[in-house]
Amino acid sequence: QVPASLPAGPKVTVVAVTQPLPTQPQYTRVDIPILREQVGQRSGGRIEVQLSTHAERNLSGTELVRLVRSGQADIAAATLTTLSGDVPILDGVDLAGLAPEIGVARRIAEAMLPVVNRDLERFGARLMVIYPFPAQVVFCRQPFASLSELRGRKVRTFGNSLVDFFTAWGAQPVSIGFPEVYSALERGVVDCAITGTGSGVAARWPEVTTHVSNLPVSWALAGYMVNVAWWNRLDPQVRSFIEAALREVNDKQWELGAAATRDGLDCAIGNAAACRIHTLAARPMTEVPATEADRAAVREILEKTVLPGFVRRCGARCGEVFNQVIAPIVGVRAGG
Amino acid sequence: MSGALPAPLALRLARGLRTGTAAAATVMAYLAGWNYIACALFITADVVGRQFGYSSASTIEITGYMLATGIAWGLAHALARRAHIRVDVWVNRLPLKLRAVLHLLALLLLGGFAAFCAWSALALVDESLLFDAHDNSALRVPLVVPQGIWTFGILAFCVMILMLALECALSLLLGRPEELDRLLGARTLEDETAEALEAVEMARGGAAR
Amino acid sequence: MIAVVLLLVLLGVAVFAAATGGQAVPVVEILALTGAFLVFFGAGVYIAAVLGLLGILIGLTFSDRPWWAFAGQTLWGPSSNFVLVAVPLFLLMGEILLRAGLSDRLYRALNVWLNRLPGGLLHTNIASCAVFSAISGSSVATAATMGSVALPYFNNSAYSQRMVLGSLAAGGALGNLIPPGITFIIYGLITETSVGALYIAALLPSILVTGLFILVILAHGLTHPLPRPERLPLAVKLRALLDLVPTLLLMALVLGSIYAGFATPTEAAALGVVGAAFFAAAEGRLTLRLLNASAEATARNTALLGLIIFGAYLLNYLLTAINVPQTLAGFIGGLPLPPWAIMACILALYLALGTFMEGFSMIITTVPVVFPIVTALGYDPIWFGVMVTMLVEIAQVSPPDGTVMYVLQGMRPRAGPITDVFVGVVPFLAAYLLAVVLMMIWPEIALWLPRVMG
Ligand code: NA
Ligand code: NA
Repeated sequence: QVPASLPAGPKVTVVAVTQPLPTQPQYTRVDIPILREQVGQRSGGRIEVQLSTHAERNLSGTELVRLVRSGQADIAAATLTTLSGDVPILDGVDLAGLAPEIGVARRIAEAMLPVVNRDLERFGARLMVIYPFPAQVVFCRQPFASLSELRGRKVRTFGNSLVDFFTAWGAQPVSIGFPEVYSALERGVVDCAITGTGSGVAARWPEVTTHVSNLPVSWALAGYMVNVAWWNRLDPQVRSFIEAALREVNDKQWELGAAATRDGLDCAIGNAAACRIHTLAARPMTEVPATEADRAAVREILEKTVLPGFVRRCGARCGEVFNQVIAPIVGVRAGG
Repeated sequence: MSGALPAPLALRLARGLRTGTAAAATVMAYLAGWNYIACALFITADVVGRQFGYSSASTIEITGYMLATGIAWGLAHALARRAHIRVDVWVNRLPLKLRAVLHLLALLLLGGFAAFCAWSALALVDESLLFDAHDNSALRVPLVVPQGIWTFGILAFCVMILMLALECALSLLLGRPEELDRLLGARTLEDETAEALEAVEMARGGAAR
Repeated sequence: MIAVVLLLVLLGVAVFAAATGGQAVPVVEILALTGAFLVFFGAGVYIAAVLGLLGILIGLTFSDRPWWAFAGQTLWGPSSNFVLVAVPLFLLMGEILLRAGLSDRLYRALNVWLNRLPGGLLHTNIASCAVFSAISGSSVATAATMGSVALPYFNNSAYSQRMVLGSLAAGGALGNLIPPGITFIIYGLITETSVGALYIAALLPSILVTGLFILVILAHGLTHPLPRPERLPLAVKLRALLDLVPTLLLMALVLGSIYAGFATPTEAAALGVVGAAFFAAAEGRLTLRLLNASAEATARNTALLGLIIFGAYLLNYLLTAINVPQTLAGFIGGLPLPPWAIMACILALYLALGTFMEGFSMIITTVPVVFPIVTALGYDPIWFGVMVTMLVEIAQVSPPDGTVMYVLQGMRPRAGPITDVFVGVVPFLAAYLLAVVLMMIWPEIALWLPRVMG
């Protein structure tokens, strides 16, 4: 969908800071080929995207709205929950237990995009695309057959809705920085941890855990933002060119999200034939299939704990937005 | 007006201001230090509590804020004690007059950097107010609180630099470069020794009691 | 120093880009900046201010974006980072142990066992520093603590003053290498490597370095024989072991809690503080005065590190914003040299910087630039972390500028020129360099243990 050409004109240099790590497939398989290479080639060199990752820019991810707002980057991508300290409504797009499968997550994302932009544009930033990471699932160093067996275990989590979610299962949420999680799992500082199927494999968690659930707790939904002032200043032809490129990024990221979710699991359990995106685990893990009881419990926890927690933190207005936009899709209402 | 006063009085006034600021800075540094002791107790409580299924779920954020407070609130005191690191191997071999001028220059450049830091910190607090930003911990701390405390420490650092610069500039103008050298010059070996010996003394003194 | 080097590098890259690319390069501006900063350094400007102002000037000269609007966030990020909390905690632990006199008992106990070896008390210097390093994460704290304890033992003794000071400086330079260590924490923070894995990787290299130090002392002892003290009865020796108990327990608490899965490396530092206070209390020395003095010293030393972090992060932010690390990594990666030669150049650069620079500022300003190159060359991040730590430790004891040496010079009971320390540390410096070469030839020294344990 990146247009085949762009009329000649003055050169435009775009600074884009996307994805946490330069090794992630979201970066190597989407951002680099589309944003850096295709945009450069098809615009005849008129648009140059200077692409880098959070790690290369020494950023933690929580400050990305401010990065875009201050004009340090024209385009930036970050997971929505990490941004929710600055813009609380973003948390509501990706609550724990909200979307049991990726199609639902995408419908929620598309419905919420214009709504969250009403909040974001007050700060001079606009979300252009919301996209997923591989499904966030539970990795444990001891066997479990159902999430209910997490009771009493220490689970490494991040973000408020996951803390509420695991507390409701009777587990004990622990917060540890991502680089320390490997050794924390290895030595039993924590019993379980949640992350994307592919991210867990990439971080070599199969070496230190034995069982992985296939129940998507959330999708680590993330978004590409642009600086509104910069966007409005752009030559209209350049603007629609970049807009088309971002639409392609959107489609490719959702395809990748779906493929990488299953691929991460296959790599983790040693299914070499299906493991193409990530690297195969040396010590195959056991996949724990989600039970019907688990799915029912997840829905109940969403309704009784996670959603009220979100409304409490974000305010009554967020509850109304949720009921208007998301409730029709998932069938769960806030405060009802 | 001050030009009409006898010179030493102006200097005495500046010195009074500087020692007063330094005293306040010392109080802030003790608070910063005790804040680290509290931090150790807090983390220990969290580690032990975790074994019994209790965790504050905000330890990472809160102790991070304690570190920020500790750094910022110790800055002015460290300056007053001449602890901030300079490359002064060459300076200390220069004649006193030139050395005094360079000390003042170094202080003014530090002042420029500190003023920039303070301005950035204030802008950060302002932005957090605009966002009504909270952290992602269970406590949902409004970020203006820790960032405001941090900014206050950096502002105090700026005030300390200003007071020192005032006294130094006066000393230089009044032709007393040796006083300036004593305020900003390298910590002598005697200073370092006195400090180490004081600590050892405490270790020994404890044994005598 | 680093500022000047970075500027020169910047100049080189700019000239290179001009030669190959065709964009106009502001050579005059770069030369003016270089000149200004040579003057700043000569004038003894504060390191933090030089780094920060250099960053500001680079931003004003090379960036077309309002970078200042993001500066507050750039300073706040590291200020409030949980991983860095370990730094004041390790400093605090060292201060409490020093003032409680626990280190003195450690020294006496080891002495009973080691004083009949050729080299005598000098072995105790190294051994006690090594043991203390296993609880403390700071080289300066190790040198200050063990130096203040050890130096009085050498009053009016026949030992070579130079060897005494040299061995204590070398022992202090184990403080960061033997886990736990602040350098590993900073490195882990910058490069997103696991601090726990770095600690495990550092075990064999630190044994190697300690062993080489002992060989240096044995050689010195054999060539400069001293009368041996009388053999002590075994009962006395065994009783002396009791004095080791508090230190060993503290070691078990700090390292054991990490490996037993009780705490993360940062949390272990907090346990260490509480443990140190507990043993101080057991000795009857935990007074308000002790805590007050320790608190003040910790606040002061953390503030001076914090100010350097402010300057360094601002500089890093602007260098990254104008793509210097990426350009540099691409340029060096494209050089027609084998990886080991490039690595040798990088290590040589660290050694050269280390003679003038303080270790902490060195790591924080260089690793963000060098790390992408190292990984692009295919070197293991864990191995490089251990190497960098060894080079930082070498920087601490390489004349003419090294904090550890200054601290020791300041504590000498008998006055003498600082060149005594400089000369005394040289054989140990040679041993340390030998260890670096061995690590370069056999990276497995660092990488074997993490692999076996993982
Ligand atoms: Na250590
Ligand atoms: Na040095």
